[in-house]
Amino acid sequence: MTATAERQMELTLPMVPDIEIAAARAAGNLARELGMPTEAIDEMAHAMIEACINAREHSGSEDKRIYVRIVGTSLGEGNPRIDIWISDRGKGFDVTEARSRRQKLGVAHKRGWGLQIIEAHMDEVGIETSPDGGTTIHMVKYGKTQ
Amino acid sequence: MTDELRLRVERRGDTGAILYTKGYINNVGGEEIARIAYELMDQSVNNLLLNLGDTKIVNSIGISILIEIIEKMIERGGKISFCCLTPVIHKTFHIMGLANYAAIFDTEEAAVQQLAL
Repeated sequence: MTATAERQMELTLPMVPDIEIAAARAAGNLARELGMPTEAIDEMAHAMIEACINAREHSGSEDKRIYVRIVGTSLGEGNPRIDIWISDRGKGFDVTEARSRRQKLGVAHKRGWGLQIIEAHMDEVGIETSPDGGTTIHMVKYGKTQ
Repeated sequence: MTDELRLRVERRGDTGAILYTKGYINNVGGEEIARIAYELMDQSVNNLLLNLGDTKIVNSIGISILIEIIEKMIERGGKISFCCLTPVIHKTFHIMGLANYAAIFDTEEAAVQQLAL
């Protein structure tokens, strides 16, 4: 079976409230065209929303832009693979620290769940981040469990 | 572009209520739910069901505000429950631990029966 890149999209989004919805809808439309099941699209949307919110709220980027690249590939038999890269040009973050957060009810600070939500909803997640190079989160979602 | 949250309240007896949400639960939506929920608590409501049947997207900031509402209701000796969640919102509630502190029902009918609303 040969994988063929069928759809590709790049967006440059301003860091304004609710811009994450635009990114999620764009990816959702592309995934729907490739036959991805609704629940997988919903999971992907929630992960993208958290990634965009993290970029907007925490990156501290001077250009105040979120760079989104979406590539949809049909793997045959109605099983698309969607690759999403969400990048900012901010200050980066400590991935180990972010992954170790496990807040509980009663703890005053309840924020910081974005990365856990992204990793739970996507099939593959890779993060490149540095203080002077910004952050890119690469997420992969399959139509069927691999 | 914004999927603005709309809310509707249905009172059930002196101490019960169902809060229906429609749209995106983000920070703004979460704060609006909190405002309504605290008003209901001030009116002696201690059994509040949130029906999220018309909400398809939530974010972690919105959920963190829902957790604050649950905490406040627990402090007052009441309870908050949820029904009609999409599978993905249900999963997200579990990830963030909300499901440990609030009952979640598949349908409003099941919730109403169990909660005696």
